Amino acid sequence: MSSHDPQGFLGRLLDLFPDKKPAAAPSGATNVAGTALPVMSQASRDPVKLTTVRHPDGRMSQYPPPEVWDDWVEWDSKAWPERVPRHYSLVPTVCFNCESACGLLAYVDKTTYEIKKFEGNPVHPGSRGRNCAKGPATHNQVYDPERILYPLKRVGKRGEGKWERVSWDEALADIGAKMAASRKKRRDGIMYHVGRPGEDHYANRCISAWGVDGHNSHTNICSAGARCGYYLWSGFDRPSPDYANARTILLISSHLETGHYFNPHAQRIIEGQRNGAKIITFDPRLSNTASKSDVWLPTTPGSEQSVLLAIASYMISNELYDKAFVKEWVDWESFLANGEKFLTPKALEVMKAGDKSFETFHATLDALYSEFTFERAAEEAGVPIERIVQAAKYVAQSNGALAAHTWRSASIGNLGGWQVARCLFFLNVLTGSVGTKGGTAGNSWNKFVPKPFKQPPAFNAWNDLHFADEWPFSFYEMSFLLPHFLKEGRGDVDVYFTRVYNPMWINPDGFMWLEALRDEEKIKCHVALTPTWNESAWFADYVLPMGHAGERHDLMSQETHAGQWIAFRQPVRRVAMEKAGIEIEHTYEANPGEVWEEAEFWVQLSGKMDPDGSLGVRQWFESPNREGELISQDEYWGWIFDHSVPGLPQAAEKEGLTPLAYMKKYGCFEVVAENYQPYLEKGFNTPSKKLELYSPLMEAWGWTETEYVLPWTLESHVSPNNIKRDQGEMLLLPNFRLPTLIHTRSANAKWLYEISHKNPVWMHPSDAQRLGLKTGELVRVETEIGHFVDRVWVTEGIKPGIIAMSHHLGRWRLEDSSGINPGTSNLARLDQSGDVHSLHVLHGAKATKTFDPDTERVWWEDVGVHQNLTHAVHPDPVSGAHCWLQKATNVTKAKPGDKYGDVSVDTKRSMAVYEEWKSWTRPASKHSPDGTRRPYWLKRPLKPVREAYDLPKK
Amino acid sequence: MNFGFVIDNRSCIGCHACSTACKSENDVPLGVYRTWVKYTETGTFPDNRRHFQVTRCNHCSNPPCVRICPVTAMYQREDGIVDFDSRRCIGCKACLQACPYDAIHIDPETSTAAKCHYCAHRTDIGLEPACVVVCPEHAIIAGDLDDPHSEISKIVHNEKVTVRKPEQGTGPKLFYIEGGDIALHPTATERTPETFMWADVKPLHGENIRADQSHSTQGLPAAGPIQIGGRVSEHMVQVSYNAQHEVPWHWQVPAYLVTKGIAAGVALVFALALWMGMELSATTGVFASATAVVFTLITTVLLVGDLEKPGRFLRIILTPQWKSWLTRGAFILIAFSIVVTGWMGIELGNLFGMVPDATLAAARPWILLAASPLAIGVASYTAFLFGQAEGRDLWQSPLLPIHLVIQATMAGAVFLAASGNVFPISGAIAELARTVALWSIAIDLGVMILGEIGMPHASEVAARAAHDITHGRYKNYFWVGSILVGHVAAFGVLYFGVPVLPALLALVGLYCYEHAFVMAPQDVPNS
Repeated sequence: MSSHDPQGFLGRLLDLFPDKKPAAAPSGATNVAGTALPVMSQASRDPVKLTTVRHPDGRMSQYPPPEVWDDWVEWDSKAWPERVPRHYSLVPTVCFNCESACGLLAYVDKTTYEIKKFEGNPVHPGSRGRNCAKGPATHNQVYDPERILYPLKRVGKRGEGKWERVSWDEALADIGAKMAASRKKRRDGIMYHVGRPGEDHYANRCISAWGVDGHNSHTNICSAGARCGYYLWSGFDRPSPDYANARTILLISSHLETGHYFNPHAQRIIEGQRNGAKIITFDPRLSNTASKSDVWLPTTPGSEQSVLLAIASYMISNELYDKAFVKEWVDWESFLANGEKFLTPKALEVMKAGDKSFETFHATLDALYSEFTFERAAEEAGVPIERIVQAAKYVAQSNGALAAHTWRSASIGNLGGWQVARCLFFLNVLTGSVGTKGGTAGNSWNKFVPKPFKQPPAFNAWNDLHFADEWPFSFYEMSFLLPHFLKEGRGDVDVYFTRVYNPMWINPDGFMWLEALRDEEKIKCHVALTPTWNESAWFADYVLPMGHAGERHDLMSQETHAGQWIAFRQPVRRVAMEKAGIEIEHTYEANPGEVWEEAEFWVQLSGKMDPDGSLGVRQWFESPNREGELISQDEYWGWIFDHSVPGLPQAAEKEGLTPLAYMKKYGCFEVVAENYQPYLEKGFNTPSKKLELYSPLMEAWGWTETEYVLPWTLESHVSPNNIKRDQGEMLLLPNFRLPTLIHTRSANAKWLYEISHKNPVWMHPSDAQRLGLKTGELVRVETEIGHFVDRVWVTEGIKPGIIAMSHHLGRWRLEDSSGINPGTSNLARLDQSGDVHSLHVLHGAKATKTFDPDTERVWWEDVGVHQNLTHAVHPDPVSGAHCWLQKATNVTKAKPGDKYGDVSVDTKRSMAVYEEWKSWTRPASKHSPDGTRRPYWLKRPLKPVREAYDLPKK
Repeated sequence: MNFGFVIDNRSCIGCHACSTACKSENDVPLGVYRTWVKYTETGTFPDNRRHFQVTRCNHCSNPPCVRICPVTAMYQREDGIVDFDSRRCIGCKACLQACPYDAIHIDPETSTAAKCHYCAHRTDIGLEPACVVVCPEHAIIAGDLDDPHSEISKIVHNEKVTVRKPEQGTGPKLFYIEGGDIALHPTATERTPETFMWADVKPLHGENIRADQSHSTQGLPAAGPIQIGGRVSEHMVQVSYNAQHEVPWHWQVPAYLVTKGIAAGVALVFALALWMGMELSATTGVFASATAVVFTLITTVLLVGDLEKPGRFLRIILTPQWKSWLTRGAFILIAFSIVVTGWMGIELGNLFGMVPDATLAAARPWILLAASPLAIGVASYTAFLFGQAEGRDLWQSPLLPIHLVIQATMAGAVFLAASGNVFPISGAIAELARTVALWSIAIDLGVMILGEIGMPHASEVAARAAHDITHGRYKNYFWVGSILVGHVAAFGVLYFGVPVLPALLALVGLYCYEHAFVMAPQDVPNS
C-alpha cells in the first residue's frame, strides 16, 4: 500500500471542518504521567522489516529480538495506515498486578521517555512472553488521572481528607526520627504491613536490620489454611505443581482465571490438558476453571476433605497407590509406633493384630479411612456420585503425575480448611506425585532467592500483635485481628507502614479497622506506601507514592513450574534515561512526579533513622564500595548478580556484559531449567525428614484428637448443619477473584474495569424463586454482624443454598474530587451511631472530564458493593486463617428504604464473634510442651532468635 | 499471502488478555472493542458450562464492508487483511450495516469506522498481532492460509473448524475449533439481558430489548433458533458477557427515505401529467420543481448530518468508490438535483417573464424525460444500498427497489394532491395526483401485506426482524402508524376529499413504516 494523501487537492481545499491537527511531536524528554496522556516522538528512520523467523510451527516472529531492544522502531498503530515511525527502547520489567511475576517489556520512547505500552517479555521462563489481561493494563496505572504524584502529609484530623505536599527529605526526616525514637524504646513498635510484597527478601532484610519484630502480612486472609496443611506434611508451605507434564490435574481453586500464579499456571494447565491430562475442579460455583474441567465437582463447602479422603480410601483399599513411594518417604514407622494415641478403634484393632511391617501399616490405613466412602462423599458434597468415582479413577491413574493445587477457595473458606490442603496432599503422596515430573513439588524447591551482600542477624523480639498466644500454629501473622487486638489493649504501634495494602477495605470487619486507624493513641503514625489512593490511605498521616510495575526495583522468583528463575523489576524510564547517558541518583527523578520506590526509600529512611550508626541500623545500608555512603540500587543488585546467582556471571560474560547489565537487558535469568525430586538427596524439611502423615507436633501442642493429628475431616462453620436453610440462612461465598481484577487495586485500570466493574449476588433460580427475586433486583444480605444491599444475578452457575459474590469490587471514596477515580468507585458517606457504623452510597460511577478523554466515556454506573465490611472475623484456631465463608443469617428482598450499596455493621457484634472464635483456640501459654510461644520448626516470614520464642515468665 | 485467524476454543480460558492487549496496542477508547470475549452459558446446575468465544473481524475474503464503503476507507490488502483508513472515512456507518458480525464500530476519538485490522502495522514488519502474542494459551493463531506448511493451514485442514455465518457469502477467514452454535449464532441467546455477570449493559436505544420468544412462526422457532431443550428458567442459555453495539442508523435514515420519496414522486407525477398531455400552469411548474429541489435539499442535509464526519461529505464525490451504492446513490442524487434545479430555473424564469411560454413548453418534456429515470433512481437506489448491507437480511429484499418506487410515487402524489387544496396548481394535476395517490396507497398496502407478511423470509434473522416489525417492538409503528394511519386512514380521507390531512397521514405513515423497516433489522444482534 502506498500512502498517498487520501483527500487529494480539492478534498483538502473543500474540507469544511478539518480534523484537529495532532500536537507537534515533542523533541525532548517529557514526564506527563498523572497530568496528561503521553505523546511519542517521531523516529528518524523507518522500521526494519524483521527477517521473518519461521518457527517450527509456522508462526511469524513474535517479538523484536533482544539484540534490537535498545534501538527498536515500529509503525505508530494509531496513525496507521499512514506510516509514522516510532523509536523505542525496550526495557524489561516485571508485572506487579498479581504475585506471578510475569515478564513485561516496556516500550519507552527514545526522546520523551514516555511509555507507549507493556508487552510480554519473551525470554522470561515463567510467563514465556505471554500475559493476562492485567499485564497490558499496567499502562492504565501509569497514566492514571488519579495518580498520587508527590509525598503527602495529613493536615487536619485523620481521615478529614486534607493534605499538603511535602518533600521526600521532610518525610524521611520525620518518619526516620519517629522510627528511631520507637526503636530506642522497644523492638515491637514499628510495623511493616504488606499486602502485595512483589519481591522476595528486600523488605525483610530491612526489618531485620532495624532489629524489630516488624513484619506483618496479608497471608492470613489469603493462604494460611493451605500453607498449614502443606507444611504439616512436608515442611514446605505451598505447592508447585508441574501442570504441563501432569496426567491428572486436581484444582480446589479457580486456577484458570485467578490462581497463584494465574498466567504461568493457566498456560501450563491447558498445555497439560491438551497433552491428555484430565482436569478435576472442586468449586460450588461455575468458575471459568470449572467450565474447562473434565470433571467438575460442585462440592458443598466443607465437604472437600470428605471427597478427597474417599478418593484416598478408594486407592488404599484397592491398592492403587504407589506403595514403594509411601514405604520409602512416609513416616509410617512412627505412625505405627504412636498409633495408639490417635487411631480410631477400628484401625487400632487392625494395627494391634499386625506386626510393625509396612503391610500392617497398609491394613491399618485401609481400616482407618474405610469410613470415607464414595456414598458418604456424594452425600456430604451434594455431587453426583459418578463424578466422584470418575475423579477418583483419574487420580488413581495419574501414575505419579498428579498436579494438585489448593490456595484460596476451600482452604481459606472453611473452619478447618487447612485440612483440605492436607487431605489433598495426601493424594499426591498416595500417587507418588511428590516433586515428580507432572507431580506436585514444594515451592521452596522451585524458587530461587539469592543472598544479598550482607545479611543482618535475626532479631531478639516478639510482637504479640503478630503472633499471639492463642494461635501458636498460625501461618502467619494474625494480621486481620490487629484492630481487635488493639481494642483489647494488647499493645500499640508507633510507626505503622501499610505497603500496597488497603487493610480497612480488604480485611473482614473493616469498621473495626476504621476505628483502629482513627485512633491516634493506638496507631501513632500511619505511613501508607501506595501507588494509588485507597480507602485506608485516606486515614494515614503520610501518603507516600510508590511506583507501579515499571517504576521500581525488585527481584522476584516464583515456583511457577519445575524450574527456577529470577526476574528483575526495573524503573523503565530510569533505565532508558541512563542508557541515554542521563544521570539519575534517585528513581523519583525519572518516575512520574516524584513517585518513588520502596527499595531506595528504605535505604534512605534507614539512614535517617540512624544517621550516626549508633543504633546499629545504618551499617546494613551502607555501600560495600563507598565507605560510609548509603548503598545504591545498582550496587545492591550488582553484588547479588555478581555473587549469588549460579550461572549468571557466565551467561553475562558470553554476551560481553556485566551480570547487572545482563539483568537490566533481559530482566530475568533461568537458574535451573528442570528440577525434579530434590528430596532424594536430603529428605524433607520435617523433623523426621519424611512426609508426616501423622503430626507429632499437633499432638504435642494439645491437638491430640484424630481429626487434628491425621489428615481428616473437620466440620466447617458453614457446614449444612450450621446453615439453617429452612430458616432463611444461606452460605455466602465471597472469596473468589475474576481474571480481570488486580485484587482490590483494579480501580486505576480502566480497561479492566470496563470488562468487570460490579459484583452482583449470584443466586440459583430455585433460591431466587423462593425469595421472589429476579436478576437486577435488590437483595438484602444479613451477616453475623450487619448487612449489605446488592443486586441479584440469577444463574445456574451456583449451587442452590449458596450465594456468591466476588469481594474485590465496591470501592468507594469519601470526596468527589479526590481519592479514587469517579469512574471506578462509589461516592459514599460514612455514618456512626455508637457501635453501629454504616456506609451509604451516594452515587455510582460517573463520567468526568480529565486529561484522559476516556474518563468522559465511562458508560457504566454500577461499581459494586463493599461486602467485606459486613464479614465477621473467623480466625481458624489452628492455622489462624480468616475463614472467609460467611453465614448469611437472612437473605431477603430489599426492605423499604434499603438502597443499593448500603452497608451497616455493629462492631459490638464484631467483637462478640471474635471472642467466640478465640474461645476455640488452644493457646501456647496453656498447651506449649516446651515453654515456647510457637513450634520453632514452623516457618515465619522473619524468624527471631531462638530465645525470643520463650514464653514470657509469669 | 492470505492472512487468517484460528481461535482454538479448546485452549481459550476466557481471560480477556486479547481484549486489553488490543486496546493497548491500538489505543482503543473505552466503550468500543476491536476484539472481545463473548461468554455464553448453557445447561442447568450441575450440568452446565460457560463457553468463551473470542469475537472480532473475520477478515472476509469477500468483505461486504469494503464493497459498501463509498470512499475506500475500508479496503482489502493483497495479503488478505481487511484494513481501514480513518483519514478517508466519512463516518457514514454503511460498513457497520454491511458487516454481519458486529465487527465494526465508530471510534469515539476519531468519529470514524474502526475494527480489528490484524495489527497490519505489526505484520508489515514481521510481528504477529498483539492478541496473538499476549494470549497465555496460544489459542489465537495467526498466519498465512495460502502456505500449506503454516501452522494455521495445518490446523484448518486437520481440525474440524467452523466460521460465523458462512451463509452470508462473505468467506470469513477466522476459523473456530470447537466453535459452538450457541455462541456462534447471535440470536441463540437473548440479545440484551438486563445485565452481564460482571458488567452493566448499555441499552441499545435507552432501553433494553429482550428477545420475544413467545411466538413461533415460519423461519422463527419459538425459544430461539437452536433447540437444546426448554428454557424453563431462562438461565439455561444466557449471555454473561459480550461487547455492546449501539444501533448505527437512527431517525435520519427513515426521514431521508420520506423526503427523497417526495422529491422523486412529485417529479414522476408531473412527468405523468405531461405525458398525458395535461395543460400545466406556470405556478404548477414552479411549485412542482421547487418541491423537488427543496426536498432533495432536505434529503442532502439529512444525509450529510447523519455522517459522523459531515465535514468530509464531499469526499464521496472527490474520492468515489464506484461499487458502493452509497456512492452511486450520491451521484444519482446530484444528477437529479442538477436537473430539477434547472427545471426550477426555467419555471421561475417563465414566471418572472424571462423565459417565453413556448420555450418552457418545449423544454418541459425534455427536462422531465431526463428527470424521470433519475427520480426512479433516487427513489430506488437505497434498495441497492440496503442490498449491500450484508448484516441486515431483511433489507436484502428483491422487492425493495419496486417497493421504494411505489412509496415515492405515493409520497409525491399525496403531497401534490394535498397541495392542490392550498396552492394554486392546475386542477387536473391535483386530480391526477389524487388518483395516483389512491392507487399507490392501495398497491403499497398490498405489497406490504403480501411481501412482508404473506411471504416467509429466507433467513431466521430476517424473519426475526420482520417479526419485530409486526409483533414486536415496532408493531405500533407498523400497524398503527403505517397500516392504520398511513394507509387505511389516509386512503379514506383522501377518498372522501378531506383537504391536506391525507398527505399528513400518508407521510406520517410512510415515516412510521420506514422507521420500523430501518430500525428493526438493526436490533437483531450480529454477535
